[in-house]
Amino acid sequence: MRHALAIARRELRSYFVSPIAYVVVTIFAFLSGAFFSNILVYYVKQSTLADRQIELVGRSDLQLDVPTMVLGEFFKNEAFILLLVLPLLTMGLITDERRKGTLELLLTSPVRPGELVAGKFLGAMAFFGVLLAPTVPLHVFLARGGAWEPGLVLASYAGLVALGGAQIALGLFISSLCENILISAFGTYGLLLILNFVDTSATLARSIWVDFINFFSFDFHYLNFTRGVLSVSDVVYFATYITLGLFLTQRSIEGTRFKRS
Amino acid sequence: MVSVQQLTKKFGRQVAVNSLTFEVQKGEVLGFLGPNGAGKTTTMRMITGYLPPSGGRVKIDGFDLYDDPIEVKRRIGYLPENPPVYPELTVRQYLEFVAEIKDVPVSRRRAAVDRALERAQLGEVRDKRVGKLSKGFKQRVGLGQAIVHEPPVLILDEPTSSLDPKQRVEVRELISHLKGDHTVILSTHILPEVSEIADRVFILNRGHVMAVDTPANLSDRLRAREMVTVQLRVPASAAASQSAKRWEDVRTAFNALPGVAEVSVHPVDDMLNVRLESAVGVDLRPEVAPLVVGRGWQLLGLAADSLSLEQIFLTLVSDENQEARLKPGSPTES
Repeated sequence: MRHALAIARRELRSYFVSPIAYVVVTIFAFLSGAFFSNILVYYVKQSTLADRQIELVGRSDLQLDVPTMVLGEFFKNEAFILLLVLPLLTMGLITDERRKGTLELLLTSPVRPGELVAGKFLGAMAFFGVLLAPTVPLHVFLARGGAWEPGLVLASYAGLVALGGAQIALGLFISSLCENILISAFGTYGLLLILNFVDTSATLARSIWVDFINFFSFDFHYLNFTRGVLSVSDVVYFATYITLGLFLTQRSIEGTRFKRS
Repeated sequence: MVSVQQLTKKFGRQVAVNSLTFEVQKGEVLGFLGPNGAGKTTTMRMITGYLPPSGGRVKIDGFDLYDDPIEVKRRIGYLPENPPVYPELTVRQYLEFVAEIKDVPVSRRRAAVDRALERAQLGEVRDKRVGKLSKGFKQRVGLGQAIVHEPPVLILDEPTSSLDPKQRVEVRELISHLKGDHTVILSTHILPEVSEIADRVFILNRGHVMAVDTPANLSDRLRAREMVTVQLRVPASAAASQSAKRWEDVRTAFNALPGVAEVSVHPVDDMLNVRLESAVGVDLRPEVAPLVVGRGWQLLGLAADSLSLEQIFLTLVSDENQEARLKPGSPTES
């Protein structure tokens, strides 16, 4: 595991000198902030409207729980932004090592392929943490306004980390298959989009397939977290994707050594 | 120190390395010589554990690569053909990372990195990003990476290719310094280089070993012909016929000399460069001057060349018939 940490640290260090990473952090922070303020302004307006209704007619047909609604919408949007930016972080994970020839260095070092994969994953996860950091002040801002729902916020962040982890693990796997980072990025976008939005087709189906399709959907499981529901099945769901992604990556790295490079 | 037995690699139907068997003693330098595609890189990748062999065994320091890959990898320093560097790290950061994944204990890591920086002569660039360095320096970073954990075995794949002549000499000197402390296996397609560094040379072609010997014996055995270059001018008065045919006479005259195997004539301005080839051991030079003077030509230059080692090597690996001559023990042609 010492090797994995060394590899993760190296990965994180390399992220911080790569222009892509800065672009990703900027985009993510900007979009998160923009969505957050838009959502907040919208619900504040709704609530003012509701107040006005109560003033005029004594009651309102708008059922508002502003903090919960803001948080729910916000985390839904965060998942969408992640879908846009995470493939940019994972596209080069193995592809670049292969292109630079450093995969040869790693595989001829006393490092097990499992440690290599774990290191790569941890490095990307650490950078994902950096990515999420600028969203924390938004919650401080909400809390100062008196809308502090720590349970909901923590559950939502747990969901975001689980979702990001699964996406990173799958992106890592795609990256281990590709010689070209563009193909790696588009392949990851394709896979993640399917897994994210497969539940929209479930809403159209009217049969036993609904549960089946929903089971595969990121969105379906992630939304439970954003409702403040931490269930074993959702945690197991994301853990399974992470394990699967890491396992396949390890097999793929071992396997490509048999081919001519 | 290194023991390789019947090492074989097949890519589909193509046999890249065919049943290679050899041993390298502690402190010995073994050179692999061969054209591109001869199987040098594939062999090295198998010994370092990057490519799984199709058959055969590799043992380093008593550890079997198949049974104890981790122990074997701890004992090997490997420089692939392109140095495996992270351009975004500084030289020091890079070497620290390599030391860490090569299991250099924390307490000794700093000293190990400093020593590698010193031995690979990287002191002046230690805090520069690897990506900003010249090719020669990158190659040294690659060497530094290979020696940072002080492995008993060093495997260097074409350590001087893609360098300019000056860098080439520097890297070669560096490798000569490493000799003795390490058992070295290196590959190259440059003959003089291998004769300078290696104690023993393997000539590989298409996955087969064509010859094994010390560099000195090899170049003796490979020397196929002697060559003499004559530069002369044929004055108009001495010419038997008109200009275009003038050098035909020269060719005929030289061909008549005893011992000449081949004559080629190249006109340069108003001079002629004549190249004479003969069998090994025959010196044509004493015969040339009387001939030229006797014909009334002006002798401008006379020099004996030996075929360059690269040239011999090229004819060797491109000509299957030469194989017999190179088999150890078989008589040399003279």
